[in-house]
Amino acid sequence: MALPLPRGLTPSEVSFLCEMELVTVTPRQRLEGLALLGGPIKPLNPPHRASLPLWLALLLKRQRRANILPPPWLSPHSLTAILDHETEYADAFSPPPRLPPQPSSNTLPFSPPFLLGATADAAPDALPYHWLELGEMLLEAASDDFEDPDNVRKLLRGLREVRMAKLRTNVEKLDAGGGVKMNGIGGLEVGEGRAFVTGVIDGLRKIAASQEQQRKDRDRYEGTGDNYDDDEMEMDT
Amino acid sequence: MSYYDVDAILTDAQKVPCTFELTVPGLGYIEGNMGGDMKQGSKVELPLWLGEMLALSQSLNTSSLVTLDPPAALAPRVLNALKADPRTVDLRALAPHFYNLGARILELFEEEEMIEILSETFKARAAVIADQAHNPRGALGEGADFMRGLEENERQLFRAAHESAKSVRAWMADLKK
Repeated sequence: MALPLPRGLTPSEVSFLCEMELVTVTPRQRLEGLALLGGPIKPLNPPHRASLPLWLALLLKRQRRANILPPPWLSPHSLTAILDHETEYADAFSPPPRLPPQPSSNTLPFSPPFLLGATADAAPDALPYHWLELGEMLLEAASDDFEDPDNVRKLLRGLREVRMAKLRTNVEKLDAGGGVKMNGIGGLEVGEGRAFVTGVIDGLRKIAASQEQQRKDRDRYEGTGDNYDDDEMEMDT
Repeated sequence: MSYYDVDAILTDAQKVPCTFELTVPGLGYIEGNMGGDMKQGSKVELPLWLGEMLALSQSLNTSSLVTLDPPAALAPRVLNALKADPRTVDLRALAPHFYNLGARILELFEEEEMIEILSETFKARAAVIADQAHNPRGALGEGADFMRGLEENERQLFRAAHESAKSVRAWMADLKK
């Protein structure tokens, strides 16, 4: 029998993955460079901004050795615009950040989890893959670095509600072989929606199993029929 | 479906109406007629696994021993009610494993329309289930009747949706510590 572990990632696993995102910090103390597994970190000099992984930034923030600069999309203005877009288009999520132009020499694939979505120069008008986790963690650890943390928190809650409601209503369009368009969905939302969406698809497939079996049988029958014809033709020639 | 799947076993135990096509000596006890014969043409409710076996097995030159009819849970009256409004039907009262039973019956009968109706029902009810799972207060208030009418697959779906919403909420509460 299968392990009782649920499929997919739990929220804490998703947030762990989110902690490797780079964020921009303004250090308040000097710090020597660190050689980390993820790559070396340059020495921190107080007035100059630097990009650090989120986990390190949170640690320094907690020790009051750095301030975190929230990414531009985490401002009340951008979030309001995105929320308006979400409520206006009921059948799609707001689009993910545009991909950067592919560098010709670099053949590494650029996909949302590996893009810089949380630094100070991220796109202000789109939610990156880890938007919800990152927003919640930053609001929790560094709310004094936000201009208007309460408003941002409220907007994030609103966005989450709207998008989860979309994910739920999308299942009415599903069928046994179909899919849901989930462009622009975030990591934590995938984790939260997975159990429900896969459950619905499994149920639908179970109901339509006999139809599927019939179709398979018919295809196989027709497939062998074709082969038979081919054989015969070869024999003729 | 796994051999040890309790839900599959319980589905197999659901009764379906069968009509005996032959007289079977000594089988009357199924009808409550001790020691008597099972008369040709008598209607008996048999478990799905037994009815299916008897209906599909063919002896040498006769037709099959019994004929199966769709169970009452999948009668046209129920299907019409589902077509009208899937949300108000109490599936649990009809059959605790309604969709599993439907899937098994569809293996035996070819009914395109039933597949259509069951799929639409499942989708419409799944949307309500998801809403209920995310608003736990609704499950106790106005949604209580609907929740009581969920069959086994739907309960699992509710549990899965509820668990994932709960774990996200727990994670957010954990951050604040």
